[in-house]
Amino acid sequence: MRSDSRSARIQVLVAEQAARRGARVGVLDVCTAAVAALPVGGAGVSAMSRTAASHPLCSTDTISEQLEELQLTLGEGPCVDAFTHGSAVLTPDLRTSQLQDHWAVFADAALEAGARAVFALPLQMGAISPGVLDLYADVPTVLGTEELADAMAFADLATLLLLDARIEETGAPVDGVLLERGFEDLGGYRAEIDQATGILTVQLGVGIDEAFVRLRAYAYTQGRRLADVAADVVAHRLRFSPDAEPTRTDEET
Amino acid sequence: MNQQLLAKTFVELADNLVADFDLIDFLRLLTDRCVGMLGASAAGVLLADRDGELRVMAASDEQVRLLELFQLQNDEGPCLAAFRTGAQVIVPDLTREIDRWPRFVTAAHRSGFGAVQALPMRLRDETVGALNLFHATPGPFDPVDAPVAQALADVATISLLQQRSSARSTVLNEQLQTALNSRVLIEQAKGKLAERQNIDMEQAFTTLRGYARAHNRRLSDVARAFIDDSEPLPGLLV
Repeated sequence: MRSDSRSARIQVLVAEQAARRGARVGVLDVCTAAVAALPVGGAGVSAMSRTAASHPLCSTDTISEQLEELQLTLGEGPCVDAFTHGSAVLTPDLRTSQLQDHWAVFADAALEAGARAVFALPLQMGAISPGVLDLYADVPTVLGTEELADAMAFADLATLLLLDARIEETGAPVDGVLLERGFEDLGGYRAEIDQATGILTVQLGVGIDEAFVRLRAYAYTQGRRLADVAADVVAHRLRFSPDAEPTRTDEET
Repeated sequence: MNQQLLAKTFVELADNLVADFDLIDFLRLLTDRCVGMLGASAAGVLLADRDGELRVMAASDEQVRLLELFQLQNDEGPCLAAFRTGAQVIVPDLTREIDRWPRFVTAAHRSGFGAVQALPMRLRDETVGALNLFHATPGPFDPVDAPVAQALADVATISLLQQRSSARSTVLNEQLQTALNSRVLIEQAKGKLAERQNIDMEQAFTTLRGYARAHNRRLSDVARAFIDDSEPLPGLLV
């Protein structure tokens, strides 16, 4: 990753929040860093799923907490729409009749709670979509081009953190350094990473989220770059199996 | 340039830019027509992400080697030059540019390409990506083709703004993000189908696209349903 890139800058902001808290980097740090960097009053992340129950993961203040809970309880609101459509939902002012019709209950409840502008950014990488990042402001607010790009970069980082939190469940030895180290190899988009993730769903018989977690866990434990591991999977030099360790073959098939 | 073919192509592209078109499917059609109409050997549409990294949105061939040739241009090459300057980069003979782009020229040569054009995808004051055309044999380009190539690049830009999912948003950032994410989705689906059927990435792409067209569905909806196993998709797997 270029050290001057937006993603690199956002990662530093998030890591600083974690350092201040004296904890490992998590989605809460994305929220607090986003509040510090953007013209918003609070932020929250909810874990969302098409097949399982959705639940709030964290929030920076009580208004954010209420917004997360309201949407998941009511089943409507920007966060629900962002998840369903896979695109950001930007609401500069909740107090417009059109929105009050669209989110009949949520709009009034959110205004009551103290929110005026609400922005929902889906956490996603193709078909992988573990949740939504919600931001609110207590006055009508339009996010500028740069601010929106930053908000999306915060959402990208939150996506990885949510998935990385599951790496430990795979049995990979995660020490404190690994999560920080892991972001280094994400710069420079490689189509092979996405293709390899698709390939692993078949080789391991798992869903797409899990396939990505396992690919990253393997790269961690081997101390290799994710892109290199992915290239090996695509070229059939490396094969995963549900009941055994991945096997390397030197020959391309 | 065959005028009839030119007219037919633009009618076809316009026809496809209707309400419920699929962006990746459309851009693949556009790259295929670049090959057919402009005598190119290969074509690709690249979009810049938030970090200014150029990412392949569509290519006239989905094989890894061609995709790598596009990706390589994040370090050097005509696409990067067109994206950074917002101006066309026309290279009739790649061997003359070996000092300027040593890695790119070597890789292009290895893939059998001798000439290249990169046309900027411009939107108002911003350059959002580039259309990249490769030619097998070096030699001067037909001057009639240049404005047509740029027009195709402009059509690619317009298609970005026309995506269904962005109907709710007029924010360019968000439209680019949606476009890039649908490409990631297609790559994931290609990987899954290629592994399941023991076919290559190009075959996986054309199978998914063929299925979407035969069933009058958007490519990304089919890709999503296939990855999620959320519906049977009869006939996709043989």
